[in-house]
Amino acid sequence: MAVNTRLPKPRISLFSKLKSSKFSSQTWLLLIVSIGLFLFFALKDPRFVAAPSLKSMGFQLPEIGILSLAMLLPTIVGGIDLSVNSISNLAAVLSGFFLVKLLPPDLLAANPVLYIVLALGLALVVGAVCGLFNGLIVGLIDVPPILATLATYTLFTGIATGITGGKTVTGFPDQVGSIGAGTLWGIPIPFIIFIVLTVLVYFLLYRTTYGFKVRMLGSNPTAAKFSGLKNNSILLTLYMISGILSSIAGILVMSRTMSAAYEYGTTTYVLLAILITVLADIVPGFGSVFNIFISVLILQILSTGFHMILAGMQGSSFFKDFFWGILMIFIFILNFFLHRKETQN
Amino acid sequence: MIQKLLRTNEFVVFLILVALCIVIGFINPAFFSISTLFDTLRGATVYYILAFALLPVIIAGGVDMSFVAIAAVSTYATHMFLISIGFEGGIWIYFAISCVIGGLMGLLNGFLVTRFKLPIFSVSLATFTMWYGFALFFIGSTMNFNLPNGAVGYYENYLITVADPQVGKTGLNSSILIVILAGVFIWWFLKYTTIGRGVFAIGGNREVAVRSGYNVKGILLTIFLIMGVLSAAGGVLYGLLNRFFGPTVLQGNALDVIAAVILGGASINGGKGSVIGTLLGVTLIQVINRALILCGIPAEWQKLVVGLILVVFISLPALRARKANKMGHTTAMMELE
Amino acid sequence: MDEEILRVEHVEKRFGGVVALDDVSLSIHKGEICCLVGENGSGKSTLIKMISGIYAPDKGDIFINGNNYKKLTPIESIHEGIQVIYQDFSLFPNLTIAENVAINEQLAEGARLIDWKKIYKTAASGLARINISLPLDAVVSTLSTAERQLIAIVKALLADARIIVMDEPTTALTQKEVNSLFKLIFDLKSQGISTLFVSHKLDEVSAISDRTIIFRNGQKVIDQNAKELDVKKMEFYMTGHEIDDRAIQFTKVEENALPLLQVENLNLAHGFFDISFALKPGEVLGITGLLGSGRTELALALFGELPIDSGKIFIDVKEVFIKNIVDAVHAGIGFVPEDRVREGLFLDHSIANNIVVGIIDHLKDRFHFVDDKQKTKVGEEWIKRLEVKTPSGELPVKNLSGGNQQKVVLAKWLASDPKILILNSPTVGVDVGSKAEIHELIRNLAKQGLGILMISDDIPELTNTCHRVLLMRNGRIIDEYTQENISVKKLNSELVKSTGLDDASLGRKEK
Repeated sequence: MAVNTRLPKPRISLFSKLKSSKFSSQTWLLLIVSIGLFLFFALKDPRFVAAPSLKSMGFQLPEIGILSLAMLLPTIVGGIDLSVNSISNLAAVLSGFFLVKLLPPDLLAANPVLYIVLALGLALVVGAVCGLFNGLIVGLIDVPPILATLATYTLFTGIATGITGGKTVTGFPDQVGSIGAGTLWGIPIPFIIFIVLTVLVYFLLYRTTYGFKVRMLGSNPTAAKFSGLKNNSILLTLYMISGILSSIAGILVMSRTMSAAYEYGTTTYVLLAILITVLADIVPGFGSVFNIFISVLILQILSTGFHMILAGMQGSSFFKDFFWGILMIFIFILNFFLHRKETQN
Repeated sequence: MIQKLLRTNEFVVFLILVALCIVIGFINPAFFSISTLFDTLRGATVYYILAFALLPVIIAGGVDMSFVAIAAVSTYATHMFLISIGFEGGIWIYFAISCVIGGLMGLLNGFLVTRFKLPIFSVSLATFTMWYGFALFFIGSTMNFNLPNGAVGYYENYLITVADPQVGKTGLNSSILIVILAGVFIWWFLKYTTIGRGVFAIGGNREVAVRSGYNVKGILLTIFLIMGVLSAAGGVLYGLLNRFFGPTVLQGNALDVIAAVILGGASINGGKGSVIGTLLGVTLIQVINRALILCGIPAEWQKLVVGLILVVFISLPALRARKANKMGHTTAMMELE
Repeated sequence: MDEEILRVEHVEKRFGGVVALDDVSLSIHKGEICCLVGENGSGKSTLIKMISGIYAPDKGDIFINGNNYKKLTPIESIHEGIQVIYQDFSLFPNLTIAENVAINEQLAEGARLIDWKKIYKTAASGLARINISLPLDAVVSTLSTAERQLIAIVKALLADARIIVMDEPTTALTQKEVNSLFKLIFDLKSQGISTLFVSHKLDEVSAISDRTIIFRNGQKVIDQNAKELDVKKMEFYMTGHEIDDRAIQFTKVEENALPLLQVENLNLAHGFFDISFALKPGEVLGITGLLGSGRTELALALFGELPIDSGKIFIDVKEVFIKNIVDAVHAGIGFVPEDRVREGLFLDHSIANNIVVGIIDHLKDRFHFVDDKQKTKVGEEWIKRLEVKTPSGELPVKNLSGGNQQKVVLAKWLASDPKILILNSPTVGVDVGSKAEIHELIRNLAKQGLGILMISDDIPELTNTCHRVLLMRNGRIIDEYTQENISVKKLNSELVKSTGLDDASLGRKEK
């Protein structure tokens, strides 16, 4: 056998060490930005770091946060899901409909908690079924995800619109609001749910064998097939989980607003979720859940921060969109230069 | 000959459109009236132009969402500026100013994409957010119904007027001329200019395009400029035809336009697409929407029907492709002597 | 006749500390067919990039048509008539033949507007030059690989090529198409157009070359008349040592052992017909035939990617039904693909990840999570066992050389302990050193009782590893060879027999 010559140890630059470690360079960038923004707003207006402000942030961000987690899953497997928000709304609508329109009111009044739990369960089932539907079209029929989910987004919204007749569902029993408006040890419950889900998604993607397969599939679907992976089943499950996550977001919205609307959030929410995955540098086969978490925080910091320091100015709540867009561009450009430096090494 | 035609996506869409019209006509003969035709065209006008604006970008292999933001914001800015100086003139100033602004906005996208090698989709998401936010914060957050005197009557500026059973009169709005102009321009651009063919090359294989000597950067900048200008024109028409200007118009319609372009035969991966196909795609969606109304489907169920139709429409070509793929594996064997 | 078109003198090229080209001088004359041969990393592609202007030499001169270029640019190289045909043929799959062919001219002229009449005229005249007829408005994506290659050559000709460089052009061609290509190259030769033919298929080199140039380690070691070289000599110069066939020990296959794999009357429409054979434990069974003989289809069928229409498959005497890849893997079959980048590897993932992807479900800790320590350990075990050259198992697999990448793919399958391993042209694009290592590996695996199906058209590879070789043609097995009656010459001639690669049918004239 031929003699092997020893390869010289390659200079692993600090950059690539950072990249391959759990905290990629993008993570550092996002952390710096988030801390920087936080400090900026804190200095500008001390009320920013006061408990009420933090609490309100903790109530608002989980909705988009969980939707972003739902968006993360299809993205990491090389696709996208434009229907996340419509699944969220549909789940809320069907669940709310069940609770308010289908159940006889006296039954509900007698045992509200039981039926609320049932309704929530229904929401999760709706999310799973919608997700499954997505998975079937993308996986079995092989339609490009952007087209498939564009169609299903229309379909799901359509179902919600039809069932509600265009009206918002209201009249929930008070207990419904306990999740969306309640706190545990001073921390908003939705925020706790968001953290728990973030951790769960991390474990799913990075600690389970299923998640390992998902990441390999995302990296090269053909090789995955030829390595004996069950591509279709992995995809179906993934979209289903994504659907369930979307429905959880819907539950939170329903709980916080005590209503279920067929078009809450519209395309804006989907856009934000996609933006967050882009900012978090999620690519097929690779993506940090932690990055998603920080990106969501950044978004919320901007939203609340600008609202606070611009309060009184007309249209103050819109400034954050403008800033968010510019911040994204700024980070893209920064990424470009950082990446160029890395390949030069 | 028919076989060849059948293979083109455009012809298939055309057949579907015709079939659809016949079916609707059966259900509700009121569909077959000139007034319906003119009304449909007017409703579709803005979408035609937006679709034309987007087409080259899609052929080049990119998906852009920000064209609606460009349409809305350039127009809104123009309008608010004009009424603030007490402008009472006609529509051409609107187009002039708005298209310049829109062109610049489009070029921003192009600059970011070419200079920093950023994905078109990501950039468009960022600029979409940025421009709508900009308009809402810096210009105004309310709809404005104050049209200048010279523009007030535009929405009923008919080339051909007909009687309409419900509204009294309706007609072929003169904006159709702008649509035709835009369509002809894009058609000519894509077929008869080197830059236009370069768009197909880039969409077909970007690397080879670079290798062959195409000025890819220049071509991208050009199509973003076109996208900006035409989107702005679409935005102006939206305002004139609907008789109001707002900072958030069209925000939810980006996906509809993209869907229409794809339905018209453009490939989501780039390299394919045509003006005729785009026309048909937009028309198809408009007809479906109108059909739902005419067939008495309640408003709240219309979206569902559209959704179902979309699901079916996007699944069919995919199923067809899957069948072809399975055959492809063994066609090498067909060469047996 | 012997007018010199290209001459490089004492060119040198370094990348970092690595010497890619070391004092290389060569020349190509008008109407000459030169074959450039060498292992991966020998400097072949660097030289090509240099003469096409993509790299500039650190030292030395390049003369084209008598002009000295110190810093050749791609445009200049193209103007001087050097046309390189890349793997993707530089074609736009979504455009028509006419447009693809005429594009260069359009761009060169810098015209703003398109003259479609001119495009069609140009395209027609181009196709006429090599005497082929294809519909000008056919979209390139509908063409076969061979047809696309022809279009690429037309493009090169229209650009007034004086030297056409073809990089491994026969990889995806059937034998018939290879013949046509060779006829064309001879035709071009008679028109005074030279061809620089880069190939690792030494039998093809023998068939077509006027002058053979062999590179090794960045140096030119041989540059002489092709007739003075045979395959053995070429191999020697390529690797620097003889590949010793005789030293190979073949373990005996247990005569009475029950067959590991037995197939009866397998049929696949447009693929293969009435295939029956048996594979014993410890046996390496080769299956060969020209592209189009059904050998690839057979391999894919046994692996479940192209399930059979009819017939029976028995593994360890029990009948199995293989409808998809998951079934095949479940039955104990592994598959090392020919296109490892597309079908075998996850390039951006680590080597370790690539190795464990098939067995990840067995690497769980007590919480049912992935046991990272185990994963790393398994990865390192296999890296060591197969001698994959890498400082760490956590580096992305895309950084490895072709040979090492193929070892990783092999490791992936071996890690799942298969009963049967199907290898589909496993050493394509692998340097000769790694190739020998992989062959030794295969023989060792057989020794351990694995059953191996080796699909290949590399005759020396077959004779070095297989106990038996089945020859397929037109979808059927037409012959079987054993170690006793096998020989490179015989197999070669059998393959070449109906291919027409002999001088007479190629229309080659003596100089």
